[in-house]
Amino acid sequence: MTILKEIYWLLQKEIVLEWRQKYAISGILLYVLSTVFIVFIASVNPKREVWNSLFWIIVLFASVNAVTKSFVQENGNRQLYYYSLVNPIAILLSKVIYNTLLLLLLSFLSWAAFSFVSGDQVKDTGQFFAALFLGSTGFSVTFTFISAIASKAKNSATLMAILGFPLIIPVLLSLLKISANALRLMNDTNVAADMWTLVAIDFALLGMGILLFPFLWRD
Amino acid sequence: MKENWWKALGVIIIIYTFIAGLGAPLKHGISGVNPSSAQTGKLLDLDVVGYNSHYTVGDETMRAWLRMDLANSVDTEEFLIQADKIEVKDERNAQLQFRIPAYLPTTDKVKDFTLIVDNEANGPAVIPQAVFVTQDSINPAAAKAFPSATLDGVHNEWRFAFPYRTILYETIRNTYFHVALWFAMLFLFMRGIWFSGRYLFMGYDPVDDAKAMSFTAVGLLMGMLGLITGAIWATYTWGEPWSNDVKQITTAIALLIYLAYFVLRDAFEDEERRGRVSAVFSVFAFVALLALIYVVPRLTASLHPGNGGNPALGSDDLDNTMRMVFYPCIIGWCLIGAWMANIMWRTRALEIKALDDE
Repeated sequence: MTILKEIYWLLQKEIVLEWRQKYAISGILLYVLSTVFIVFIASVNPKREVWNSLFWIIVLFASVNAVTKSFVQENGNRQLYYYSLVNPIAILLSKVIYNTLLLLLLSFLSWAAFSFVSGDQVKDTGQFFAALFLGSTGFSVTFTFISAIASKAKNSATLMAILGFPLIIPVLLSLLKISANALRLMNDTNVAADMWTLVAIDFALLGMGILLFPFLWRD
Repeated sequence: MKENWWKALGVIIIIYTFIAGLGAPLKHGISGVNPSSAQTGKLLDLDVVGYNSHYTVGDETMRAWLRMDLANSVDTEEFLIQADKIEVKDERNAQLQFRIPAYLPTTDKVKDFTLIVDNEANGPAVIPQAVFVTQDSINPAAAKAFPSATLDGVHNEWRFAFPYRTILYETIRNTYFHVALWFAMLFLFMRGIWFSGRYLFMGYDPVDDAKAMSFTAVGLLMGMLGLITGAIWATYTWGEPWSNDVKQITTAIALLIYLAYFVLRDAFEDEERRGRVSAVFSVFAFVALLALIYVVPRLTASLHPGNGGNPALGSDDLDNTMRMVFYPCIIGWCLIGAWMANIMWRTRALEIKALDDE
């Protein structure tokens, strides 16, 4: 089980790296707070439908910004060094797990900040947290892989958006539906099926990422 | 020439599609019925306006029936009233006289009737819910005194004409372009992804990359044409070119994904790197696209046939005459698309070869 050990060490490396250069994580947390405040000023006391879509738009944009750096921040030579030390799949998985944790933190913060300024609209907290967890996973899997693609080209920030946004739509649409249910905007008796769909999408994308990553890292 | 038979076949089918699909007339239809309501026990003079009709030609053979809707009927047999007198005014206008019986074999107060007009030159035209008959008093038992007419000897022989349908009318021909272009787009995207996979798993052959790129490019073209023909069609049938229909959204996203594919390709100068990264993206995007096709239709109903209770291809939408054009034209558009992609990748392969020779 060397790959699990490798993932563990790489995850530790990611966290240590983040902790040493605190500006990145504090920057993204402040980004969320400012965005929430901007959105709140632009639409004072949004209705519940608007609350739902605005919340996920904020999380989406914060996620893209947070995940973009995962492959871009380290230069090619250092990555080559990593690839010679460990299994490339372990690198991808460690980044996916790290980004999932980061996005989970981000979306909790967005929810707390958004609830603070415009009132908590969530009626079924358990369901909403499930949506946050599944959403963070989906965003993390998709954007981490897209970041690996975009890091191969110049101008990767633009590429992140144009490659990532169309691909995230199935995840985003399922999320909007589940969280609309958690906000009691609609009463879907079959919300479990939507969650399983989302789990299936997350796994399909992750599986595809693992299958394709070996072709990507070689240069 | 022997290996190029499929190109000739594609051209022949497309020419056939244009000639038959645009040239064949619609079947005889009724575009107007006046009045649309009647009373029991009275004479009903019905003015009908025909579409693609030749009433003066088949004058003597012309007959007409009103057929009662079977819901809430007291017995399961059809109840028909045949027109007593038919007066043809010109090719498109006729007056039909019906003697509506005093009682109807139903417990409904108001009943809708289907109008059927038939003559030798035109064949039958059927218009559902043409006339609503109101009963003065309900007495299904007394209706036994009025026996049903019989619907026999209708001139139902086959003619090369497309069905006349309300709302669709002449736009029904767009089936051979809009729908068939979609099938061609799907086919071409599948080919593109196939070659992307081949490029990755079969040792980075630059010709495979050229094939993947060419099939995707032509697929994108077919997709855009499909979107445009669909928008034109929707203007006349749904009232607006874009109504945020499920399939419209899915298509727009699919086109966004493949436009991004070409932007991604342009971001690389190194050929091998471009091929590799864009192939990885196209395979990864395909999985997201499959997820999208699965997820989106569960969110809202679609206006498209086959969704939300609308009839689908293969049931009422396609009659046998339409099948004679529709099935070949799908193959035709796929072949033409494959030919276009073929020319594209061969040009690209020549360029690659010229670069190697230098």
